[in-house]
Amino acid sequence: MAILEISGVTKRFGGLTAVDNVTFSVEANEIFGLIGPNGAGKTTLLSCLAGDLRPNGGTVRLDGRDTTGLPADRMCRLGVGRTFQIPRPFPHMSVFDNVVVAAAFGDPKIQRDQVARRALDMIEYVEFPRPVTTLASHLNAAQLKRLDLARALASGPRLLLLDELAAGLTPGELTSIATLLRRIRGDGVTIVMVEHVMRLIMELCDRLSVLHYGELIAHGDAATVARDDLVREAYLGQSYIL
Amino acid sequence: MTTATNLRTVPLVRRYLTFTWLVLGLAVLIMIVAAIAQPSIVVDTLVTGGMWALLAGGLALIFGVMNIPNFAHGELFLIGSLVGFTVFSPIQDAILENPDAALLKVVGPFPGMIAAALVGAAVGVGLEVLLFRPLRKRSRDQWVMNTFLLTAGVSVLLVNMDRLVIGNDFRGITRYWDVPPIRLLDVSISVDRAMVFIIALITIALFSLFLQRTRVGRAMRAVAQDEAGAQMAGIDLKRIFMLTIGLSSGLASLAGAALLFMFPSYPDVGLQPLYLAWYVVILAGLGNVQGAIAGAFIVSLLQTLTVFYVGVGWVDVLPTGFIILILLFKPSGLFGSAVKGIWEQ
Repeated sequence: MAILEISGVTKRFGGLTAVDNVTFSVEANEIFGLIGPNGAGKTTLLSCLAGDLRPNGGTVRLDGRDTTGLPADRMCRLGVGRTFQIPRPFPHMSVFDNVVVAAAFGDPKIQRDQVARRALDMIEYVEFPRPVTTLASHLNAAQLKRLDLARALASGPRLLLLDELAAGLTPGELTSIATLLRRIRGDGVTIVMVEHVMRLIMELCDRLSVLHYGELIAHGDAATVARDDLVREAYLGQSYIL
Repeated sequence: MTTATNLRTVPLVRRYLTFTWLVLGLAVLIMIVAAIAQPSIVVDTLVTGGMWALLAGGLALIFGVMNIPNFAHGELFLIGSLVGFTVFSPIQDAILENPDAALLKVVGPFPGMIAAALVGAAVGVGLEVLLFRPLRKRSRDQWVMNTFLLTAGVSVLLVNMDRLVIGNDFRGITRYWDVPPIRLLDVSISVDRAMVFIIALITIALFSLFLQRTRVGRAMRAVAQDEAGAQMAGIDLKRIFMLTIGLSSGLASLAGAALLFMFPSYPDVGLQPLYLAWYVVILAGLGNVQGAIAGAFIVSLLQTLTVFYVGVGWVDVLPTGFIILILLFKPSGLFGSAVKGIWEQ
């Protein structure tokens, strides 16, 4: 069953159409990849799905329910978690406080006395390597990515939107992130990931969509899409060998 | 943050920290010397400092969370003093009629203060719903400038409405608690001033605990640090904004009612507290609530010293000059600002 169905989603910034009439659906419990060259509109599309931006046209359906244009906090409480290309934690709060806020406000069903427990569980789940009292502004890039992920998970999402989680990570960290994402999917969470690291995409994704200048140019299972000539030309470059 | 800026800011931060501690240490030192030489300086500093802390803490909160430079904060002080006066007057008459009613004498002043805090909070929420929310929906361009103009306008409007409707005269009381002063270390402290200090202390403690420990307090700090990020963590911004402005306004009105025996209610009464609260907030660093609370006591120490050794006429001159001096050395305020990106928005 499709957990997320978007049809005809369009987002314009003034004269620029960043996302143009995009339609696809994401099945429950799959890992869905969204790729495309820089400036293709991937992050904009993700923002439209997360409620951060309001699309100019089209519909977004979550579990069959029309959620187009709902604000980000409503989307979060409906079960959509999100991480950012450049992680944006609350810099003057501890790691623990950062995750507590997400647990307390992101999940409408959580009991008050469960909030701290959930926060600690999620910090452990993402294998956060430093004490939970560390200030977020003292973390390095890889630790910030894990904190962002813990925050997104703390709100108890059914759908997780990841924006270039792997960007800037070392090969070792990449492997451990891949394991983590598989585990998250194993726990019943659907993942939509925007990613540039092809290794991770090919390794994890069941299906792929390719955006180019805001338009969907290819769609299908990962291996097929990667072989598509149009995609190679637009995105991977003609000489790219998979 | 890139490595390059890190390398540059680390020594600067260290220097600023020592500078901050220097000023704080100096303040504590003066307090100790004063405690031996002139204990009443300490008393005056603590009493007025507590009240400036209520005002400045609220001002810092609303600026930190909502990015509103609230120039109508003084009018919430005015509303507080009006409500306090209106509620306390009949109680005062009742006390005068039954001089033996001990309980009435002790708890009599509190209803006015509580009513003032509640009415102030309601007015704050009203401002949010009627002014700031529609503006926010319409445009966030030039938000700080627009809200500055908006609140300055509200201030003028409320002052003149007070003049028109209530009248251009003083409404005050001589004292809340009609009992002899307490004697402590050769200083006689009126019970009113002691109580005001205790009220301020309890309120500030509860306020800080609320911000640090409760889930809503955490949400407020989260919104102050990253509004969009907080919304994406599931926080309903509308509710946080209403709570913030209500809390900030309620504290200002509470101060207005509690200080009624020093500042009788009249249309311009909010002006001096407003400027003082702004001195404190600028001195401490815009939007830094804890810094504002500490800064309030530094400013009140400066004021008390000026009154004592220089003269009442200089009470606004010398502290302001001193604040300008401090800002020359540390432009982001004594404690630095926790608010980032306001000017980029």
